[in-house]
Amino acid sequence: MSTFLFDSLYTGLNNVLDLRSKQHALSAGNIANADTPGYKAKFIPFDKVLGEALHGQESVGMQRSNAMHIEGEGSLSNPKIEEIEAPEWAEDGNSVVAEREMARLTGNTLLYGAVVRGVSQRLAILRYAASDGK
Amino acid sequence: MDLLDTFNISGSGLAAQRLRLQTVASNMANAKTTRTEDGTPYKRRVPIFETAVVDPFGDALERSLSSVEVSGVESIAEFKKIYDPSHPDADGDGMVELPDINVLEEMVDLMTTARSYEANLKVVDLTREMAMKALEIGR
Repeated sequence: MSTFLFDSLYTGLNNVLDLRSKQHALSAGNIANADTPGYKAKFIPFDKVLGEALHGQESVGMQRSNAMHIEGEGSLSNPKIEEIEAPEWAEDGNSVVAEREMARLTGNTLLYGAVVRGVSQRLAILRYAASDGK
Repeated sequence: MDLLDTFNISGSGLAAQRLRLQTVASNMANAKTTRTEDGTPYKRRVPIFETAVVDPFGDALERSLSSVEVSGVESIAEFKKIYDPSHPDADGDGMVELPDINVLEEMVDLMTTARSYEANLKVVDLTREMAMKALEIGR
């Protein structure tokens, strides 16, 4: 794929879309298991993952030099997942807090929409250029 | 892993909560039932929830995605005795064995079930919203 047409920003945005939809699935799982004893809420620590990506420290995990390599944990495409420990007073050992999950989910959907717009804008610019600025 | 998996996860949550609602309804309806097929008073039913890995062969993230599964419904053979000599099932001392069901507890269970069901439904809604947004890419 040409790096001229589809530059790193474009792939970056696509990565974020992917991460957001994965986070969405995690939250869905958390809410579905809100009453399962011993279940620990899971999430992708976006601030860490994106911060590391921003500062070019994607190599927190193992860096792949070949597509055939097994992917290590901590890369953008295979981020580390954090689990929330249940508080001591939680009788059933479940750490899902419905409010937190719903807030995370709503924010996630919103940001997903924002990134979709970003990608669309990006494509619109390309289309504009491709049609001689008409 | 795709958005359809997310629908399935939420679906499993909805199904589990619906089953829980049914057990609560059964418990409430049978709070005073003294006769069942096996000769004991009604036994309180409790659904057991378990996590089920959605994609055991996926990457680390996909393996940590879990839906919920009802692994069984347990019958709790605990009864309370109350004094009611006029009851046809009273023993010689006038004591009747009734299921150990606390209607207040069942009501609380009912409410949390309804909220959990709602939460799962909301997730389905948001998933649909996200899928629609994805279809808008490039428009």
